Amino acid sequence: MNKNTKSLWQSPWGYSESFLLTLGLLLIGFALEFTVGNASFGTIVFPYNLIAGGVYIFLIALVYFLIRKKTVFKFLSGIPASIGAISGLSILVVIMGIIPQIPIEEKGIVTSLGFNRLTTSIPFLFINFYLLFILGMVVIRKLFPVKWKNWGFICSHLGLWITVFSAGLGSGDLQRLRMDLNENQIEGRAYDDKGNYLDLPLAIKLNDFKIEEFHPKLAIVDNTTGSLYEATKPSMIMIEDDLICQLHDWTIIVDEFFVTSGRIGDRYYSIIDFGAAPAAKVRVISHTKDTISGWISCGSFNRPHESLKIDERFSVLMTVPEPKRFSSEVSIFTPDGQKQEQTLEVNKSFTVNGWKIYQLSYDETMGIYSTKSVVEVVKDPWQIFVYIGIFMMMIGSVYMFWRGSKVKNEETLNGISG
Amino acid sequence: MIWNHFLLAAGISASTWLLAAFIPKRELVRNGLVLTGIASIAIFIGFLWISLGRPPLRTLGETRLWYAFFLPIIGFLTYWRWRYNWILYYSLALSLLFLFINYMHPENFSKTLMPALQSPWFVPHVVVYIFAYAFLAASSLVAIRGLYQEYKGQLQPKIMLMADNLVYLGFSFLTLGLLFGALWAKEAWGHYWTWDPKETWAFITWLGYLVYIHRRHQMPSKFKSSLWILALAFVILLICWFGVNYLPSAQYSVHTYSQQP
Ligand code: HEM
Repeated sequence: MNKNTKSLWQSPWGYSESFLLTLGLLLIGFALEFTVGNASFGTIVFPYNLIAGGVYIFLIALVYFLIRKKTVFKFLSGIPASIGAISGLSILVVIMGIIPQIPIEEKGIVTSLGFNRLTTSIPFLFINFYLLFILGMVVIRKLFPVKWKNWGFICSHLGLWITVFSAGLGSGDLQRLRMDLNENQIEGRAYDDKGNYLDLPLAIKLNDFKIEEFHPKLAIVDNTTGSLYEATKPSMIMIEDDLICQLHDWTIIVDEFFVTSGRIGDRYYSIIDFGAAPAAKVRVISHTKDTISGWISCGSFNRPHESLKIDERFSVLMTVPEPKRFSSEVSIFTPDGQKQEQTLEVNKSFTVNGWKIYQLSYDETMGIYSTKSVVEVVKDPWQIFVYIGIFMMMIGSVYMFWRGSKVKNEETLNGISG
Repeated sequence: MIWNHFLLAAGISASTWLLAAFIPKRELVRNGLVLTGIASIAIFIGFLWISLGRPPLRTLGETRLWYAFFLPIIGFLTYWRWRYNWILYYSLALSLLFLFINYMHPENFSKTLMPALQSPWFVPHVVVYIFAYAFLAASSLVAIRGLYQEYKGQLQPKIMLMADNLVYLGFSFLTLGLLFGALWAKEAWGHYWTWDPKETWAFITWLGYLVYIHRRHQMPSKFKSSLWILALAFVILLICWFGVNYLPSAQYSVHTYSQQP
């Protein structure tokens, strides 16, 4: 127990030195952020990120060979240094958790220290490099000499290292673009979030866009403000055939309901037509037993909307239906002359030539009549490495669950508090 | 038709599990009853799957069924491995709660789940979090007890072993929850991690317990600082769980609405 008597920076290093190192790193990081700002570094892209990554790994190996016999290696691969680095990261992430991460126009202390875009700030970059360095030392020390009983440790720690390393380096190579597909047209270009168009090594033809909707809902709105009346829950009820329900203070009876309809004269009829909208005949009974009856419809891009006034203050209306599922039947063409038929759906993506294609959206003003489908195409060449890391960590977690804590039980039971 | 089968399945689960709670002494019988209840939900899910002609993962009611199915399975596995009776009963009770919610709200079976949540990752993501929170909350109770004993000057080292094991189990589930979330986000939105406030706080929570684990590993014979770290980690967990919505950063979160359990 000579720890309390040794002075700062005297070997062996412990928690004080570790926290001071982290603090210093953060201070330098923030000072740089404040003076140089973040304008100086953008994301690095292939092949520079590959080179930088290689250099970093080389440096870690080099440092290891230089210091592996020295006491400082014990420190750099030990728990005090680890906890210092983890705490440093925690401080930054707490800031991120409190201050909204959005662009702010006016200059102030928040923007000049990068608090509102922490993930691209210099201190965040520094801490991540430092943490990766320490974690690298930790892993190396446990890897050599190879011992099979360390496999759980290696899975979680090396897995984390691989995940952070490849997700960080790969972020510059990640491309997320959108494509607007129109039925029966071939599209080979995609645009980024600034609206720049790029040619893709593939082309997509939308054969059919399919969408199913939920039934619309009944809601009560305030006549003067037009806002939803939410006195009680539920504040909206989905329309069904023959529905009888209680909405706030009124009983509503659905006498007729058409999923697609059109108004002819004084009533709606079920019709199938481009733009035909849902409509329902409802009876609204107030608590004083007054009954009002009439047609309501949510309308569509080419049909008017119609609500029913139930008294001076309120009207009942039909909400625009929400999508239940939507999908695109597409043909995908690749430069090698291949053609593949696919269905793209939310949560069901398809990968071709290194590009992953996701169903994203459609023309929402057209609803079920949309002939446009918006898909997202994503290229992430580093994904496989991130996945390897993640799966290693998963195995590490399952191992941790199964083995539980074996935190030096002997020492714990003989422990002293303090 | 489907509804009657649901009542039958839920009835079998509820009665077998209630019976199981009354005869905890006969372990074999009790375990048999627990497994029967799980099997009844499994059969109902299978039946629903076949009769709908699609995986039943599209409505709130259907996702609750999966919770009701997976919770007791993980609870049983945990009990089997670690002999914590409470986690078994906790998972059975939660599972019954989900069945009961479905019983009270039959309309949930036809109600919407937004397309982004209609993913096979949704259920495991939520289920492992439920377990992580249960274990970590339990470990904090132990920590509070420990701090009290410490204050009285009669801390029993055994209590630390209990806290450690609970944290290890909870932390393994928490890690799985984060990783499932990341994989799901990648599959659904093309990015693992977007630093959404809820994600950020979940990550801070994770870091807090990470510090505890390592501190304990290094200083197994010192308790006080570790107990305080554990207590603090739980405060962060509570912020993550309930408090996020009140933070300035939360206005921009995708997790603040729509994710009913
Ligand atoms: C996925 C996240 C992590 C998990 C699940 C984890 C878990 C563990 C566990 C269970 C041990 C005890 C090892 C044993 O059984 O012998 C341990 C030890 C250790 N961990 Fe971690 N850890 C994680 C991340 C980290 C990080 C980020 C660092 C440092 C930057 C770190 C540094 C260490 C060190 C230095 C040891 C002591 C190794 C020894 O001397 O035996 N860990 N970790």
